[in-house]
Amino acid sequence: MTEPVLKVRDLTVDFPGTPDRVPVVRGVSFDVHANEVLCIVGESGSGKSVTALAITGLLPASARVGGAVRVKDTDVIGADAEVLRRMRGRDVGFVFQDPSTTLNPVLPVGRQMTEGQVALGLLAKRDAAARAVELLREVDVANPEGRVGQYPHEFSGGMRQRAVIGMAMAGRPGLIIADEPTTALDVTVQAQVLGVLAKRQKDTGAAVVLITHDLGVVAEVADRVAVMYGGRIVETGQVDQIFAQPRHPYTAALLHSIPRMDMTDRRLDPIPGQPPSPASLPKGCAFEPRCSVGNGRPKCLSEDPALRIVDDASASACHYWRDTPTAAAPAEVREISRNVPDQPPLLEIRDLKVHFPVRRGILQRVTGHVRAVEGVNLTVHAGETVSLVGESGCGKTTTGKAVMGLTRATAGDILLNQQSILGLSASGMRNARRNMQYIFQDPFSSLNPVKTVEDIVAEPLHIHGLYDEAGGAKRIAELFDMVGLSPSMFGRYPAEFSGGQKQRIGIARALVLQPRLLILDEPVAALDVSIQAQILNLLEDLQKELNLGYLFIAHNLSVVRHISDRVAVMYLGRIVEESDRDTLYDAPVHPYTQSLMSAAPIPDPVEGRRRQRIVLEGEVPDPAAPPPGCAFAPRCFRATEICRSAPPPFERYGKTESRAACYHAGPLEQVEQKATGT
Amino acid sequence: MKYLHVILSTLHALLRQTGAALGLGFLALIVLVAVFADLLPLDPLGQDFIRSLEGPSRDYWFGTDELGRDILSRVVFGARTSLVTAAGAVVIAALIGVPMGLIGGFFGGWRDAALMRMVDVMMALPAILFAMTLIAVFGRSQGAALLAVGITGIPGFARIVRAQVMSLRKRDFVIAVEAFGGSAGYNMFRTILPNSLSQILVQVVVLSSVAILLEAALAFLGVGVPPPTPSWGEMLRTGKTYLHEAPYYAVLPGIVLTLTILAFDSIGRGLSRLIENPGETAMQGTLK
Amino acid sequence: MIAFIGRRILQLIPVLLIASIGIWAMLFAVPGGPIGVIVGENATPETIEAARREFGLDRPVAVQYADWLSHAVRGDLGTSIHSREPVFDLIMDRLPATLQLAAAATIVALLLGIPVAMVSAMYPGGWLDRVLSGWSALALGVPTFWLGILLILWFAVDLRWLPSASRHYAIWEDPAQAMRNLILPAITLGVYVSGVLARFLRASLVTEMNADYVRTARSKGLPERSIMRRHVMPNALLPFITIVGLMMASFIGGAVVTEAVFTYPGLGRLLIQAINTRDYPLIQGCIVVILVIYIFINLTVDILYAYVDPRIEYS
Repeated sequence: MTEPVLKVRDLTVDFPGTPDRVPVVRGVSFDVHANEVLCIVGESGSGKSVTALAITGLLPASARVGGAVRVKDTDVIGADAEVLRRMRGRDVGFVFQDPSTTLNPVLPVGRQMTEGQVALGLLAKRDAAARAVELLREVDVANPEGRVGQYPHEFSGGMRQRAVIGMAMAGRPGLIIADEPTTALDVTVQAQVLGVLAKRQKDTGAAVVLITHDLGVVAEVADRVAVMYGGRIVETGQVDQIFAQPRHPYTAALLHSIPRMDMTDRRLDPIPGQPPSPASLPKGCAFEPRCSVGNGRPKCLSEDPALRIVDDASASACHYWRDTPTAAAPAEVREISRNVPDQPPLLEIRDLKVHFPVRRGILQRVTGHVRAVEGVNLTVHAGETVSLVGESGCGKTTTGKAVMGLTRATAGDILLNQQSILGLSASGMRNARRNMQYIFQDPFSSLNPVKTVEDIVAEPLHIHGLYDEAGGAKRIAELFDMVGLSPSMFGRYPAEFSGGQKQRIGIARALVLQPRLLILDEPVAALDVSIQAQILNLLEDLQKELNLGYLFIAHNLSVVRHISDRVAVMYLGRIVEESDRDTLYDAPVHPYTQSLMSAAPIPDPVEGRRRQRIVLEGEVPDPAAPPPGCAFAPRCFRATEICRSAPPPFERYGKTESRAACYHAGPLEQVEQKATGT
Repeated sequence: MKYLHVILSTLHALLRQTGAALGLGFLALIVLVAVFADLLPLDPLGQDFIRSLEGPSRDYWFGTDELGRDILSRVVFGARTSLVTAAGAVVIAALIGVPMGLIGGFFGGWRDAALMRMVDVMMALPAILFAMTLIAVFGRSQGAALLAVGITGIPGFARIVRAQVMSLRKRDFVIAVEAFGGSAGYNMFRTILPNSLSQILVQVVVLSSVAILLEAALAFLGVGVPPPTPSWGEMLRTGKTYLHEAPYYAVLPGIVLTLTILAFDSIGRGLSRLIENPGETAMQGTLK
Repeated sequence: MIAFIGRRILQLIPVLLIASIGIWAMLFAVPGGPIGVIVGENATPETIEAARREFGLDRPVAVQYADWLSHAVRGDLGTSIHSREPVFDLIMDRLPATLQLAAAATIVALLLGIPVAMVSAMYPGGWLDRVLSGWSALALGVPTFWLGILLILWFAVDLRWLPSASRHYAIWEDPAQAMRNLILPAITLGVYVSGVLARFLRASLVTEMNADYVRTARSKGLPERSIMRRHVMPNALLPFITIVGLMMASFIGGAVVTEAVFTYPGLGRLLIQAINTRDYPLIQGCIVVILVIYIFINLTVDILYAYVDPRIEYS
């Protein structure tokens, strides 16, 4: 075998802490060869990003790094700053997570792409501009000549990330390190960016280390996988083996805990507890407290298992790796709730429009409107989950906020229990709000940091003057119990809780007024995958117990399939397709839905290779200046003349459950897939 | 009970920072001396003509002034003038500036525009000029000095609170209160204000030092608290005319004034550091 | 760009209006009102009545204000009660001295403030940073009038190198004398402002040095000094422009104290004299001029900022 491009041995990193230094990476070893993609996957705090930075010596001076790292022929650890600098410029390309902050806001993009090469004397200054144009063209940025002199804020998120990839590839480095390169992007843009990354990797033959928390992305791009947990690699192997036959209980548990977009539903198997904090690791195996295989065996409690080779291509850090469960746990299929026809809907949204004025000019006149929501119709019944799914800016959150009365509706009507809640008086709205509650995406910002969690959950009761009537502290304790928290936590402040626990507090607060409808805005998007499953299960249980109606707003197609009874897909302020869950996922008829489904990566490499991909071009248009006719037409593979002239009506498709807003609605045909797929 | 715990833990965290601890120590000394000045063997007004403009000695630690008065006594009673003016000014500025910032930041629109234009006008004149103009109108008195310094502090509070309110306004926990039916008033005073207290506290400390400086500057220009009330600025003003004969006259009160301002500054910086790193305190989110 | 400037100027109109009403109405708050200001406190009812008619104070207030404003806009700020000379001329007489001091103080502040900030930001938390941050705190904490006194004590009283009372010499007419007279007031004023500048610039440098794009720059192999020059400095200096502008603007009127310490013949001293002699037209005139200069500098800074920051669109 040839010499690897990157060789990491026994890498350790610790940071200063009180009282002791905190070990964040604890003995990591791996190789990456040319033409190979290694994915490092793990949850927050697993040490994956720190590993990436340590490889190229980019950690802050306070970090203490041990072990050996060799990139091509440079020994990184202990190397002189000048040597490291040359190595980074010549041999390594870096792609970071957030494209909105990784580029300098006051320097033209083109100059940023080539300045590293110029500084190293690899590119003459007078050739830099031409080279930048070439690099932008290589990463599929349209009109590179015009774009090269622009500043980052004039680029969209996906374009910025492509420019960063171009920059990383500028010197044709042997090694690319990409740290969560698509996490901040929408799914159709993610597909474009991953496509560009793969194309450029193939062209240059580089070795790639891709760090991610998303198992779908792993299945899609990886050749080999390293799973990290608690600062160590717990399993490595070829991608197919990792997904088909995991050799570490954590990998297996992770796979069982994620919802699947391509499968009939089952109840999720969450991993109990929280990922460990590097400052307080358990004595033996770091995963033991959450492990179903270890389950308190003395060896697991006392001895941290080393990563051992189990066959020629894989290694596992588990004393009892042979006991790792392979098949999914017994599935309990969740029935779709059937609307009882004689039961009136809990919530009915009729032709809702929400426009925001755009002000311009010397006098700040209103010169136009952002049409955030442009005619949405939806009903939610008790005991039913209806999801709104779409990419950022499609208006799904605005719809939720308008229902809640947090954003003023421009037109249309919203009926709660068959009574309009638009134009209610302040006290009428207060009463209406007892029947519906909102759950926020970010559990870190939705709880008042200066109140105790008991006060936070009790606050709605105090506002409505119902605290004593509802049973006071006893009632609050009941709610804590219901969401799986202990009332012994009453006196603590939100900062003392983990993300998942905070979301439970948010749910308890939403339930305290005994509402009948919950609007859930991306309730699990900010959580680690293993925690996501706990919250999703909790939401399901609560719905069954309390017969709640859910309006579930999310961008994650797998989560939506898991939780929903009916699903509506939004694009640029409108619902483009709506159906019951299985019909929508198994037989989508709107080309946008079809594109969205095909762009979302699934955590199954074998199935993933079989799927045909539709990679949409461009990005979502500006809702202040939507294209005429069908808003999706400029990106659509079926668009014809009529699509550009008038917006299509939202109609039932044939005799199915589905309704769609498309002149050319219909199942995806093989021919089309060939024409549009990559 | 809860707030006592917060105050104590803030104090405790401040005392762990050397600079802030020194500042707190010096300030405590000045406050104690100013409060109990009457109990000390000091006489700021008694004149000893035979011993006028005499350098520091065992009898007069800081020397005597042109009328033979004890400079140390006058420094101590001058502290009282300074602290009373500062405290009064901060109260006036906060009572007017905080509601202005709250209302402007929370409601936005024309209320905000009107309030902020007023603030702009006040900021367009340097504080010292603004205060001087007010005194020119109201006449020279202790009350006028206090009022003038207080009014110049309004824009600072209004702007800081407004900025804080506008960033909190968009936070989910504020929207959440709206979502479960809390009124605008409830949200402003029960949710946003408690979350702005730490910023307001820093501004109180900052304005205190500015107020002391401003009071001294007004007195130095001859438009501050009228004589014979002792004031640090007034002492520097007179001391300056005796630089040749009695340099200590202007130097020693100046040292006390400078140390007081530095003390406030180090406390202010310590507090800002706590806000940036709430983990250092026992109060958790309280100071965020 | 023109639309942007137009909008900024339009935004100034309410500020100028409120300010002018405030300055004009000042006289009504004075004990005795505008009449008392003119005729003095011991005037007979007849003189008061005569003055009322002569100065048009019997007209409606709105008319009086409009009249005052229309004169002020044309540079007619009335006549000084004390010296019987036009207020505008008195002010123009003093303005060059103040502008020269402001310019000198700005140079001192920048020369002291920028290097201190840069050195301290290089090693945040290190001993040098602590020492320099202490220096900035000192620069901010020492009252200007006390620092002025100390400087006079050393350089004028003890060493007799420089005059203790400064006079105004135009720098292009007599550079040596101008320097001798300017150096102490400029240091006094400049040191304080250097503290403000150093603290602000250090904070923004430290923030920018930890920004994601700096990590990106390192990852592509740029040398530290070009990271500093091309990435960190432009980002840190942008907001700094505003602060420098604010400081310069505050020098125009805020130098009162320094001018008093050195008996420097600037606008500030004129204002103090006006207050001491209760010369209200002169007080109003000084404030109007200081306000207009302040607003003009701020406007210039805003436009400059918009011009250099690519993120601001002029639409």
